[in-house]
Amino acid sequence: MTDQLDEALAREYEAGFVSDIESRTFAPGLDESVVRRISAMKDEPQWMLDWRLKAFALWQKMPEPDWAHIKYEKIDFQSIAYYSAPKSMDERPKSLDEVDPELLRTYEKLGIPLIEQQQLAGIAVDVVFDSVSVVTTFREKLKEQGVIFCPISDAIKEHPELVKKYLGTVVSQKDNFFAALNCAVFTDGSFVYIPKGKRCPMELSTYFRINELNTGQFERTLIIADEGSHVSYLEGCTAPQRDENQLHAAVVELICLDDAEIKYSTVQNWYPGDENGKGGIYNFVTKRGICHTNAKISWTQVETGSAVTWKYPSCILKGDNSIGEFYSVALTRGAQQADTGTKMIHLGKNTRSTIISKGISAGKSNNTYRGLVHMGKGASGARNFTQCDSLLIGDKCGAHTFPYVESRNPTAIVEHEATTSKVSDDQMFLCRQRGLDPEKAVSMIVNGFCKEVFKELPMEFAVEAGKLLEISLEGSVG
Amino acid sequence: MSNWLAETIHQAEKIDDWLSPKRAQSLSLLKSTAWPTRQTEAWKYTPINVIERAVFKSANDPQIQAEQNSCSKIPNLQAIDLIFVDGIFDRSASTQLLPEGLTISSLSEGADLSWALSSFNQTKPKHHFFGLINDTLATQGCIIDVAEDQCIDQPIRIAQSFSLDSQSHTRILVRLGKRAKVTVIEQLQGDQLSFNTSFAEYQIADHAYLEHYRLAMQCEQAISVGGCHFHLGTSSQLNSNLIGFGSQLSRVDMDIIHTGEHSNAKANVIYLLDGKEVFDLHSAIEHTVANGVSEQNIRCIVADRANAIFNGRIHIHRNAQKILAAMNNRNLLLSDNAQINTKPELEIYADDVRCAHSATIAEIDDEAMFYLQSRGVNRGDAQVLLSFGFINELVDQMNNAAIAQWLRPILRQRFANMEIR
Repeated sequence: MTDQLDEALAREYEAGFVSDIESRTFAPGLDESVVRRISAMKDEPQWMLDWRLKAFALWQKMPEPDWAHIKYEKIDFQSIAYYSAPKSMDERPKSLDEVDPELLRTYEKLGIPLIEQQQLAGIAVDVVFDSVSVVTTFREKLKEQGVIFCPISDAIKEHPELVKKYLGTVVSQKDNFFAALNCAVFTDGSFVYIPKGKRCPMELSTYFRINELNTGQFERTLIIADEGSHVSYLEGCTAPQRDENQLHAAVVELICLDDAEIKYSTVQNWYPGDENGKGGIYNFVTKRGICHTNAKISWTQVETGSAVTWKYPSCILKGDNSIGEFYSVALTRGAQQADTGTKMIHLGKNTRSTIISKGISAGKSNNTYRGLVHMGKGASGARNFTQCDSLLIGDKCGAHTFPYVESRNPTAIVEHEATTSKVSDDQMFLCRQRGLDPEKAVSMIVNGFCKEVFKELPMEFAVEAGKLLEISLEGSVG
Repeated sequence: MSNWLAETIHQAEKIDDWLSPKRAQSLSLLKSTAWPTRQTEAWKYTPINVIERAVFKSANDPQIQAEQNSCSKIPNLQAIDLIFVDGIFDRSASTQLLPEGLTISSLSEGADLSWALSSFNQTKPKHHFFGLINDTLATQGCIIDVAEDQCIDQPIRIAQSFSLDSQSHTRILVRLGKRAKVTVIEQLQGDQLSFNTSFAEYQIADHAYLEHYRLAMQCEQAISVGGCHFHLGTSSQLNSNLIGFGSQLSRVDMDIIHTGEHSNAKANVIYLLDGKEVFDLHSAIEHTVANGVSEQNIRCIVADRANAIFNGRIHIHRNAQKILAAMNNRNLLLSDNAQINTKPELEIYADDVRCAHSATIAEIDDEAMFYLQSRGVNRGDAQVLLSFGFINELVDQMNNAAIAQWLRPILRQRFANMEIR
């Protein structure tokens, strides 16, 4: 059994290859001039530079947070390069034909076809490679419908009124240490605007890839769903297999205006490091959305990668009758550490939130759920239901739960449940008795354990997530 | 604040007794510990600035009129009484004749007890700020020793009352020998402005059984910070009951440490808060070895502008397999201005365990209200009935009938007076 476990843990990280692409990379180091250079590279207007510099000044005064249940070597922010872009991107390609074929090959290897004709109908992709957005497919087609889907660096130039109005309104420059850093040095990311009453005709998606050595990725995503609109957005990510840790500090802001709905799904598969915890991505991400009246934000995440995950996709339920949802599967193995969860801030009347969190720990990993449910004074008739379940596979891992529940309103109802257990012997016995081998049985049980979350994912992602889990658990029969 | 702390440290440095070596350790820790603020996780929701604002005098101060103990008597309890007035042991008011197998000494007489010195501060967490203050200042208290194989039928009642402006620090040390059995009741009462820290440490040896009650019934203006800490040996049992009335600031830390296999701990907690009262319970259950069982039920009713805080932690150490741990926290929030802050935590490092916690916050069920009102019960009575039912379940589980009987009318009275929306 232990052999099988070892074998599974030694499994290759399939997206771990490095693409040989010539890049223009800043020398490592961070000071005000780096912020100015990033802004200059992007040809940004003065207001954007001022905004970045303000964030940088704030960040310098902030202490690095240490409250999470994770241990990692202090990050040396001076040893990271804050900008890296393929040389072929100096002149931004006008169409796919002009994109460096090596880049296209990279994405083909990752299973992300960029050629529009070959795509599954109905998914538009923005591809971010290190610090720049390489290509955004279906951009024109979406524009016909009034939907704006483009790299955020383009949006700053082309739609400054929208960016100015909403950027930093949900995650401000002084929000937290890593968000402040992102505000100062963010390089690219996606921008989405769905006009009033529009249902986005296709799924939007961003694919993040870190390639260059010693760089950090700092992307910023801003999604605005105007009144009565609807959008489903997917996010995926991978990185090469390296012995050094690399930092990924992203910020995602969702603005969900009256009656709108945003569905945000993530399958996170950054390189997790080897079984001894060498290498891997440090994933420090701030994701938050604000719901106005009758609006709905749904976060779904499948976290399988990263050496360290520090991520709390949250909802501010400001408008009456608004809804927040959080569905999460976090799988840790090897020496991975995940501290993840959500915050549901109920401010409006009759606001509702659901939190379903499934944590699976194997190997020597630690998996933590950390959540906050806050019922404000005005949250009359609000409701929350939280369920977080943990599954332990092996006796060297850990599963932890830290839920904060605060209520200021007597008519609000909060329910929180958490359980921790291992794969039950009874379930195993039943499956074995029916002729399933132990590996299949565990895989089936774990998939069943996560079913509630998987069913929230768009179809293509659900398949990917199921497979990811299967590979990750291969052989780790307890 | 620094004045208060500086004065405390100054006072502590003058104390010279058999506990001095222990006090010195705590004193040096205290000096390096920052005064807790809202940024300190363990005091996040607890307004401790009330301690800074008030001025207290120690019980030796002639201005404090040390009257007699004002704790209410518990009828039919027939207890062995240990009486404290403003933190000072009143030997004459306490029970003199002790049954065989039971030894009780005052803390100031503990010098000859080597076990007391070695078990002092063994169970209490080392870094609790007010615990450190208690370590350095507690010169009064009692040491209770139950010999092996002794079953003490009479419960031991430690009654502490506090008068206006008093400041007191007491320490209780209890040791149960192997297969011993005893009931200990910690009763704290007083509603005037006073400040006390009272920490109790219990060593429960193999196969012993402790029935424990902490009646933290100080209310209104009182400021009380304390804790009860249990150390469980193999196959030992603990049955603990905590009743908390809020006060200006009332904080209890409860630590249950399972160090022997097959130990079993159960803790029921009730708190009822009204006015601007605050009650804060921080509990930690440490399963350091395999095959343990722990169960916690926390029921809380909050009215008016009160603030109820609960932080419950279950920590299962590596290799502590086959643990069954459950924590259930249910809260009734009865007013627009009241608040509940609860955080049930699990920290688990062993895979073959079954752990669960749950927390709910709600108001009284409308349908139940309607049902009672439709049967002709008026709204006020219905509220009392339902709230009382909510906690009476835990009162019913108390093994000591005298305490349960004494408690019920007090609780009912408190509901009747509660400021309900």
